[in-house]
Amino acid sequence: MIRRHPDFVWGLASLGLAVVVWEIAGRLVGDLLFAPPSTVVPILISLLMDGRILVDLAATVGQMLAGFALACVVGFPLGVLMARVKWIDMLVHPWISMLVVTSMAALAPIAILLLGTGFMLRLFIVFAGSVGYIVLIAFDGARSVSREYVDVARSFQLRGPALYRRVLLPALFPYAMTAARLGVTHALRAMIMAEMFVITGFGGMIYRAGLEISTAYLISHLILLMAVSGVLTWAVRRTGERLAPWYALKYGGA
Amino acid sequence: MARIAGIGARSGHGVLYVSSFVAGLVVWHLISRMLPGVTFASPLDVFAAMSDRVADGTLPRAFASSLMHFGVGLAISAMIAIPVGLLIGRNDIARRLLNPIINALFAIPSVAFVPFIVIWFGLFFEARVAVVVIMTVFDMIITIAAGARAIDPGVLGAARAFGVRGTRMLSAIYLPASLPFVLTALRVGVVRATNAMITAELFLAAVNLGKMMQSASSNFDIATMMGVVFLVSLFGLAMQQLVGLLEGRLVGWARQAS
Repeated sequence: MIRRHPDFVWGLASLGLAVVVWEIAGRLVGDLLFAPPSTVVPILISLLMDGRILVDLAATVGQMLAGFALACVVGFPLGVLMARVKWIDMLVHPWISMLVVTSMAALAPIAILLLGTGFMLRLFIVFAGSVGYIVLIAFDGARSVSREYVDVARSFQLRGPALYRRVLLPALFPYAMTAARLGVTHALRAMIMAEMFVITGFGGMIYRAGLEISTAYLISHLILLMAVSGVLTWAVRRTGERLAPWYALKYGGA
Repeated sequence: MARIAGIGARSGHGVLYVSSFVAGLVVWHLISRMLPGVTFASPLDVFAAMSDRVADGTLPRAFASSLMHFGVGLAISAMIAIPVGLLIGRNDIARRLLNPIINALFAIPSVAFVPFIVIWFGLFFEARVAVVVIMTVFDMIITIAAGARAIDPGVLGAARAFGVRGTRMLSAIYLPASLPFVLTALRVGVVRATNAMITAELFLAAVNLGKMMQSASSNFDIATMMGVVFLVSLFGLAMQQLVGLLEGRLVGWARQAS
């Protein structure tokens, strides 16, 4: 009975359940505390028609992607290097572990004093908030690359940069994709936090929406954020499938 | 023999950690010497600022109060996440209905819920607890659901074949089988909750450590701010290691089996 229905039917059922529960809860407590979908949807549509919110959202995502790209470019090679060179791992690993548990909200006030409240602050927070995860996944990946691959490559006289380019990097591709997917989620978290902290961009709009009488504005913003998060994760996965379809086949689209 | 080798490796790790720690501090110190001293603090400045705060008792008191909403929030998160996670993991209909909702909510950066929390719970203790719960509970639910789904069906089948059922099934089979991933969720949870603990104090009314950071910020006292961040991170790391140690003690068998 359960398996007979395809996934999207269950998805619809889930969405329906959520909307019904939300509508009932919203009617019970009122717009002031929790606006029901019947109030939120018209407001969400009017916000989208107005279009300014999308401009802000695009700017936020663009700046976030800059920090995220930097984190990938620095983090991934660092993780691979840590897995291959013992003393680098010894030096860096404990600090990366520490960075991963560090609250970006707590770093924000320091970063504001050092970098101001502009783009550099957001770049730094997004970078710091996502680079640790990318390093750790790259590290795990590079450590688990089959010893045989490296041995075969060695016996064919492949070493130095060629070993990285021809053997290690292709073998690490699935890990790079996992790192990117996890990294982008954390980059978005860090970005929204940074923007809410200095009340600017889309994060600032969330903060201001929270001051409205009706929570419909706030919920509309959260729904948009949910959509952005979904699109980003989807885009990373899609890029991976485009670049290396054989891995998607091998790992079942993961 | 293997046990002895294991201990040797662990103390080796300890030496590595210490040397990495020292090396990091030296690099930090050198960087702080190169940057203008007014804005960036060296580890020595941070240590001096922190020992002042410990000596006058403000830091231990602030930390202890911060731990209140950390603890309460973490406990509430566990009380929500364990039943919900087990339900999603073990019941097919619940999983298909609830999983998309959980994933959609999880996709929203949790700090974006803070305005909601302010509307519902205000700015003080209840609100801080709510921030901890919101930031912690989804990670824990997802971890527990994944673990519960992966309980070895062979074990359940064997138990059934031996006629185990009812409450005995729960206490003898499900409970021990769940302990490994509940502890994993707790390990994930303590880190998130530490994070949330300080986030709440900075985003809501500034109290305890958040207040300490705020007043340090208005005095351009970077040393104190860095000290607080450093301490909170160390606390998070220590809690993570502690739960990890507990995992090794209690459910080391699960790791060996897998």
